[in-house]
Amino acid sequence: MMKLKRLIFMSAVILIITAFYAYSREEIPTIDNIVFDHPQRSAAVFDHDDHNEKAMLEDDCSICHHVYENKKLIKDESSEDYLCSECHFLKPTPENAIPLRMAFHKQCKECHFESNKGPVLCGECHIKK
Amino acid sequence: MHSFINFIMGPMVWISFLIFFIGVIFRFFQVIKLVNERENFIYTYMSFKYSFRSIFAWLIPFLPVSTRKSPVFYGISYVFHLLLFLIPIFLLSHVALLEESMQWSWFTMNDAVADILTLIVIFSLLFFIIRRIVVPEVNFLTKLSDFGFILIVALPFVTGFLAYHQFFAYQWMVIVHVLSGELMIILIPFTRFFHMFMAPFTRAYTGSEFGSVRHAKDW
Amino acid sequence: MQETLTTNEKPESNKKDVIDEGVEKGLARLTPEKISTVINQVLTKETGARFKVYVETCMRCGLCADACSIFLSNDRDPKLSPAGKVKQTILEMINKKGKVSKQLLKDVVRIAHTECNVCKKCSMYCPFGIDIAYMMTLVRRICHKLEITPLYIQDTVNSHSATMNQMWVKEDEWIDTLQWQEEDAREEFENLRIPLDKDGADIMYSVIAPEPKFQAGLIYQTAVIMHAAGLDWTMPSTPGWDNSNMAMFTGDFEISGRIARAHYETATKLHVKKIVMGECGHAFRSVYDVGNRWVGWAMPPVDLVHAIDFYHDLLTSGRIKVKEQYKKTVTLHDPCNVSRGRGLHNKAREIVNILCESFIEMTPNREHNYCCGAGGGVINCGPPWKGSRMINNREKKEQLERTGAQVLIAPCHNCHSGLEDIVHHYGLKMEIKFLGDIIFEVMEKTIYQKDS
Repeated sequence: MMKLKRLIFMSAVILIITAFYAYSREEIPTIDNIVFDHPQRSAAVFDHDDHNEKAMLEDDCSICHHVYENKKLIKDESSEDYLCSECHFLKPTPENAIPLRMAFHKQCKECHFESNKGPVLCGECHIKK
Repeated sequence: MHSFINFIMGPMVWISFLIFFIGVIFRFFQVIKLVNERENFIYTYMSFKYSFRSIFAWLIPFLPVSTRKSPVFYGISYVFHLLLFLIPIFLLSHVALLEESMQWSWFTMNDAVADILTLIVIFSLLFFIIRRIVVPEVNFLTKLSDFGFILIVALPFVTGFLAYHQFFAYQWMVIVHVLSGELMIILIPFTRFFHMFMAPFTRAYTGSEFGSVRHAKDW
Repeated sequence: MQETLTTNEKPESNKKDVIDEGVEKGLARLTPEKISTVINQVLTKETGARFKVYVETCMRCGLCADACSIFLSNDRDPKLSPAGKVKQTILEMINKKGKVSKQLLKDVVRIAHTECNVCKKCSMYCPFGIDIAYMMTLVRRICHKLEITPLYIQDTVNSHSATMNQMWVKEDEWIDTLQWQEEDAREEFENLRIPLDKDGADIMYSVIAPEPKFQAGLIYQTAVIMHAAGLDWTMPSTPGWDNSNMAMFTGDFEISGRIARAHYETATKLHVKKIVMGECGHAFRSVYDVGNRWVGWAMPPVDLVHAIDFYHDLLTSGRIKVKEQYKKTVTLHDPCNVSRGRGLHNKAREIVNILCESFIEMTPNREHNYCCGAGGGVINCGPPWKGSRMINNREKKEQLERTGAQVLIAPCHNCHSGLEDIVHHYGLKMEIKFLGDIIFEVMEKTIYQKDS
């Protein structure tokens, strides 16, 4: 009798966990990584509005969507209507030394390290499916 | 936590390599000093031709008779030593990190390939452990430290493998991975890991003696 | 004798529990202070980079094991692998900082002196090329300094030190023997000479002391070969005629160096162009590789030619012609000290093929041969150790047996005696010969003329 009870209990637990797991997986929005030819890692987890709220960016888009001209940051100008890949190409070029992958990584990690918050390790964004 | 991670993945890497290089230089200095003081005849017998003849002969898989006597161990050991360097050097995550911090970048291998190669390394190490226990003449020579060496090498590979697959405790897996990798680098000059630097020289000296004095092959 | 072994360790039950008087009496004299002083003196003052690097580089992979015929002869006993022997001797001494027991020293003597032929095959099997034979020589050096060297080999060293030859051969005995051989040979060959102390001769011929002592016939044969080849040669009448060197194997490097120096000084005094030596391996190692270094000569100061090299020259240049090839099936044993020690194995084969009709290889061969089991001073440790030596030579016996040859050619004295023991002990049907024996048998015994 005890055995059966335990079995049912364990199955229920496993069921809930897997259901939760599958559900939570489904829900996480990611960055669009379509420009990468053969991405080896899953697209990085990123929920734009949720992130900005947590980071208290208060609608200042230029913090992330920066604009550089002649390698100098133009203050208070923002580039949210452009794709990152329009400036940051897959391979570094003379005009822009920072290739796309590095641009993404640096953009997130440098800020996260500075503010002591947010993911900084590979698998914290590139979650294995 | 962020500053700790930043430290072990940033400054600590350089500190490890610094200790490694200083250690290597110190060890070489020690040996050269001893050679000069006690055995400077070594210079007399060292021959470039026969040193390289011997080293190259021993780099060709299964050319030396000795390696054909233990083909399984030698084969596994050969592949293991190659992968020990190839995987960490050409791993995408490592190169990506280096690129971000130093703008250094080179060829990387596919993650799926690296994954399989890592498994090969782990199974090689498992084989070494079993061989040390099972083969009597090897068991007789084995000290606890020999298992220690295997463990120290295994740790970064096992944790790297687990971290890549994100099975559990991801953050801790990465932390242990980084720390154990650094530990291995630091220990190289100060333990028998140093054979990676000394072996070519012992080989070269024996090769020189066999070649230029004894006119015989040494493989 | 038992009470002298003041130790708590249980003496290991060993099929080879041999009583060697030299070792036992030496151990009885030792004090713990003396033991640790000597060991530390040798390990710290007499070693350098090689020793340090070897000890710190060995990864204990065990690949050296398959090199060792003694290990193979004992059903792969882990204690007899080369690195295993280092572990039980040198490493033990390092770990205990020289404070080792007498029981351990007894084992150490046995291992270093009778379970290792210092044949250097293991340094060919170690991926790092670690010279384990060098380590074993160091152990023997310690035994020498502790005065626990096995009795019989110590006696030969004593002889070396007193007479400059290995067998207590007195000067008049030596000269008499040469003259007696000359006289005998002149009955067969008119005008044959064994020229003594001929100044400025092309060749000084040197032998090991057992030749005048028990095998004077070999000197006779050489005289005939020299005579027939029409060579300008001489033998020294003074000490220095013996090229053998047992001190090299007991770690008595001071005596070892004196022996090699005496040899070369004798040659220099006679103003000869080169030294030709008889078919001996360890003697070659002494004058070519070891003794000369101790004196300070990186390479031999006088051109030194081993019998194999010499015969090869005579046979290929036509100075000695073969009348009729040797009929019986022969096999060739490669002596470590001239094959692995000087790469003469291919010339030896060419000689055998010139001399004999059917030659059967034994395997492994050339640099990978199995030691005769006698070399490295092991046979010179004498009768107390013969039983264990026979057990340790099983692999060699099986190798000989596999060839099925009627005659075994061994161009080395030590090998000769060792193989003789193996053949008798295991009841093999094999005759053992020197290359010189066969040349003597098949050669044209007319005197070489330049235009004939």
